[in-house]
Amino acid sequence: MRFAFSEEQRLFQEALAGMLAEQCPPEAVAEAWNGDSGRIPGLWAKLAEMGVVGLSVPEAHGGLGLDQLDWVLLLQEAGRAALPEPLLETSAVAAPLLSELGGELANEWLPRIAAGEAVVALGLDPAPWVADAHEADLFLLQAGDEIHALSPQEVRATAQPSVDGARRLFRVEWEPSERTRAAAGEGGRELLALTLDRAALGAAAQLVGLARAMLDRSVDYAKKREQFGQAIGAFQAVKHQLSDALLQIEFARPLVAHAAYTLVHDWYTRSRDVSTAKARASDAALQCAKTALQCHGAIGYSFEYPLHLWMKRSWSLAAAHGDAAWHRSRLAKLLLD
Amino acid sequence: MKILVCLKQVPHKDARLDIAGHGTWIDDANLKFEINDYDNYALEAALRIKDAGEAEVIVATIGPDRVVQSLRTALGMGADRAVHVKDEALEGSDSLGVAKSLAAIAAQESPDLILTGLMSDDANYGLTGPMLAELSGLPHATGIVSCEHAGESITVERELEGGALEVVELPLPALVTVQTGMNEVRYASLKGIMQAKKKPLETKSVADLGLQASDVAPKVTIEKIYMPPKGEGAEILQGSAAEVSQQLVTKIKELGLL
Repeated sequence: MRFAFSEEQRLFQEALAGMLAEQCPPEAVAEAWNGDSGRIPGLWAKLAEMGVVGLSVPEAHGGLGLDQLDWVLLLQEAGRAALPEPLLETSAVAAPLLSELGGELANEWLPRIAAGEAVVALGLDPAPWVADAHEADLFLLQAGDEIHALSPQEVRATAQPSVDGARRLFRVEWEPSERTRAAAGEGGRELLALTLDRAALGAAAQLVGLARAMLDRSVDYAKKREQFGQAIGAFQAVKHQLSDALLQIEFARPLVAHAAYTLVHDWYTRSRDVSTAKARASDAALQCAKTALQCHGAIGYSFEYPLHLWMKRSWSLAAAHGDAAWHRSRLAKLLLD
Repeated sequence: MKILVCLKQVPHKDARLDIAGHGTWIDDANLKFEINDYDNYALEAALRIKDAGEAEVIVATIGPDRVVQSLRTALGMGADRAVHVKDEALEGSDSLGVAKSLAAIAAQESPDLILTGLMSDDANYGLTGPMLAELSGLPHATGIVSCEHAGESITVERELEGGALEVVELPLPALVTVQTGMNEVRYASLKGIMQAKKKPLETKSVADLGLQASDVAPKVTIEKIYMPPKGEGAEILQGSAAEVSQQLVTKIKELGLL
């Protein structure tokens, strides 16, 4: 087994990174936070045109038919840019779920997702809230072992306070019915478990990118900011913190890639690998956020300086689809049961 | 119609540049590279001609193995095939050596139109395009900001000093060098990147181009590159705007500039 990303996957990453550097700079993200939608106007269409939005949509429905391994580097870049678009839930999680649900749901929604014309909101345990409900065209919601598909008219979404101005959270109230049921029983259980793993893994990949962005920015700042006649990066108290943050990222990064591999190849270790990855990626991003704030000092607290965009996205995603404690608990159960 | 686009791979625009130990170029050991920005606009112009009708777009570049990534990106954006010239003889080559190699490719391909960037982001000479046109015996226009192809000619607008534009019609075959901002450069789509793997990418040596190492040996050598020394004696004037203005006038008078 050659455990490395392919040249093609690296080129995908480079292409997306280049595009986001131009289309999703921190100023645009900050502006999106203040907008009605929380998104950057026109960016979703550009991502769809590039093929990113439909990456997991089967070719027959207008997508590329690629898998979770192809998502890892792309979601890292999305994290690095603090991308304020529903790439994780709609493209990396809902699209493969719809594909597996098949039938009318898949036929109706997958082409629309690939074309960038539909956003899907996911309500999965253990997440108490649903992200991006205000923008959603379709809701895929969990009720016990069942998955239900609902239109926006069939749910009541109430905005909740969210630390991240782009990843907006909602309490969604709804009534499950025979008509809305898309999967149930053993099949429903399996799909829900797989979907949760996809969501946690996608969040973990984004957290790695967020962590790296905060570390890079902090290292850059520590090289330039002078105090007592020298760059603050020269002081051990600063550089040791930055080194520790790098170590956290380097521990998390291969775990995320490995979990993607076991998920795609349906290894029996899939869920425990995903939980390990999500826990470590959450730790890494939270540590990097803390270190970045320490190294930046007072300016790191200011709303005008963009560090908070990455920090708050990290806090939001570290809590999404199971936080580190939840995943460690699941890991313990999976190992001991 | 056959269009040849000459690309150069240059250090990424956000890369931190350090001078190499030998002092004659930057240290490129750990740099990220990308397609020269001017060349991206040239490629986009070629792809737009292709989109509008029948055209084959060939991209060509010179350099070590790493430049293949830029060729793959260009193929992912929509170019049809690529030529990579790789030869130790071209290491440290100057604009003339590069132009001779590209002219040899042009002689083999016989394109109707050659497009390249006005200059490169790293060397900034702006020589390769005009030299290539001269060596190939082609009419050329530099610094174009628009391009319309009709039949056996192209009409281009050239950017002049002071914002003026010059309209030039060139019979084909011809060469133009492209100014940045001429168009909106497309992004390589993921599907395009996947398809790029199957597109032809030919690697050629100087000998394959019918040239000898001595033909491309540099006539110009860089003696030294260095950071300009920091100036000394700067003085920051203190006080209100009115006070500072008065002090400034006094200083200028003292220096005999007024």
